[in-house]
Amino acid sequence: MLILAIDSATPVAGVALLNEEKLIKEEFSNYKKTHSETLMVMVDRVLRECQCTIGQVDAFAVTIGPGSFTGLRIGLAAVKGLSMATGKPVTGVSTLDTLAYNLWGSDALVCPLLDARKQEVYCGFYDVTDAVPYALSENLACSPAEFTAKARDMAREKKKDCIILLGDGYYPYADFFQQQLGNSLQIPPPHLMLPRAAALGSLGLKKAHKGEFEDIFKLRPVYIRLSEAEYRLGRGEL
Amino acid sequence: MGIETSCDETAAAVVKNGKEILSNVINSQINIHSQFGGVVPEVASRQHIENIGPVVDAAFREAGLAYSDIDAVAVTNRPGLIGALLVGLSFAKSFAYALQRPLLAVNHLEGHIYANFLEHSDIEFPAVCLVVSGGHTSLLYMSSIGEYELIGQTRDDAAGEAFDKVARFLGLGYPGGPAIQKAAEKGKPGRVVLPRVYLDRNDFEFSFSGLKTASMNQWNKLKRKGSADVNDLAAEFQAALVEVLVEKTMQAAAKYKVRSILMAGGVAANQELRNLMKNRGQDIGLLVHYPSLSLCTDNAAMIAGNAYISYIRGNFAPLNVNAYPGLLSL
Ligand SMILES: [Zn+2]
Repeated sequence: MLILAIDSATPVAGVALLNEEKLIKEEFSNYKKTHSETLMVMVDRVLRECQCTIGQVDAFAVTIGPGSFTGLRIGLAAVKGLSMATGKPVTGVSTLDTLAYNLWGSDALVCPLLDARKQEVYCGFYDVTDAVPYALSENLACSPAEFTAKARDMAREKKKDCIILLGDGYYPYADFFQQQLGNSLQIPPPHLMLPRAAALGSLGLKKAHKGEFEDIFKLRPVYIRLSEAEYRLGRGEL
Repeated sequence: MGIETSCDETAAAVVKNGKEILSNVINSQINIHSQFGGVVPEVASRQHIENIGPVVDAAFREAGLAYSDIDAVAVTNRPGLIGALLVGLSFAKSFAYALQRPLLAVNHLEGHIYANFLEHSDIEFPAVCLVVSGGHTSLLYMSSIGEYELIGQTRDDAAGEAFDKVARFLGLGYPGGPAIQKAAEKGKPGRVVLPRVYLDRNDFEFSFSGLKTASMNQWNKLKRKGSADVNDLAAEFQAALVEVLVEKTMQAAAKYKVRSILMAGGVAANQELRNLMKNRGQDIGLLVHYPSLSLCTDNAAMIAGNAYISYIRGNFAPLNVNAYPGLLSL
């Protein structure tokens, strides 16, 4: 099975091509160009350099959130177009699952974090000792302080000595996390810090083997948050 | 095939040779946005990503075609709500790429203007075109099809925006254009007096914020006096706005010695505007064209139609083409 993975959930744009368990090519870009400009160019380059056409791809994998609302929609719209035109299915993978998979095999409490703006992070708590990351709680949006409190409780409960933070949500609050989590905190090196399309592709492949595909007409991002207007309407402010 | 997601309509259409509409599917979000009193960009984008697949598929089914039957994919890439545009553009790009068909990027306003050419083959040039919608109020000089020169535009609110704001203030609901037109039918212009804001008589700039403020002030004053008739005020507001649009267009038609007058955009669906423009055009011996009501508001048939010009000229969009909230050219 040939799987094409497309990630534009965060400032990172990533595309990877996998043939079963074998990673053939991966492109990663964390440069300031917009996903709208880069993503399909990357897809085209990855396929061409692997002497492969879009028609040969058996399934697509995409990060479905959380992440930047616009970034997620660019990725989802792209796989919708590819899937409809080729008739090949799509697997959707959580952005936080994808990040956690970077640390496969670690016995630490793995906590992927995305910058959610408004002084919040999107976060998850994972055990990654198994074949695929196991989420110990729901993905959520919360303040850095709520996050560290939860992380400490979770580490105690799951008897984890070490807490690993990764993802772009770490950087804005690095000092705060250091101060709150102290010696139990570890930060991975740069090549493991951000979402990798290769990790997305291998998780997507596992889902594809199990036949876990998305309904392409209904597929929408996992935003976690309501839009500002819906939130205010719900509170009776509109 | 054309795709349009610049505002609050997810639309897809199949058009043959820039002329024959084989399908024209529009999924409107008006009911969703009306609870917010106007279009909310993030809400619109969320609707687009859910609607885009089914809407595109419906356009093919209605046309009785398979995806691979089309020759090119056209999409609006400016101007509009950036997050909304990006959904349509990203979809169109990958869809075209996978089908190995060229991609054509279309300016939304050119699409609106092209709606005229979908229905009329007898439009003579040069022409002057009034583009009026919720986002734009512009006068354009057209030397031929696809050749535009901006000769004037609004300095503040677009005409459609003024309709929306005044309708909301008067409690007539959203969208404002149809709401005010309906109220105006039951009222009479002239019972309340509102200004006609022409600015400089010699240029083609518009301003509607003064009319908007005057309407609100009048309304408050009338309510205090206990003699407020919302229908009369709606009728006078509509008359004042329409008169300025028509007279400025007539001045432009005279100055540029055009052979036809065109209208385009959502506000071109206003019956008062259509009637007055047609009558005043007749007075000076010029044919006035405007699209049928369903092609005035946002749709993808006008996008697919307009793209035919680029298709013939070989102006294909590269894979890195982006979306832009503003106008760039025009
Ligand atoms: Zn429009």
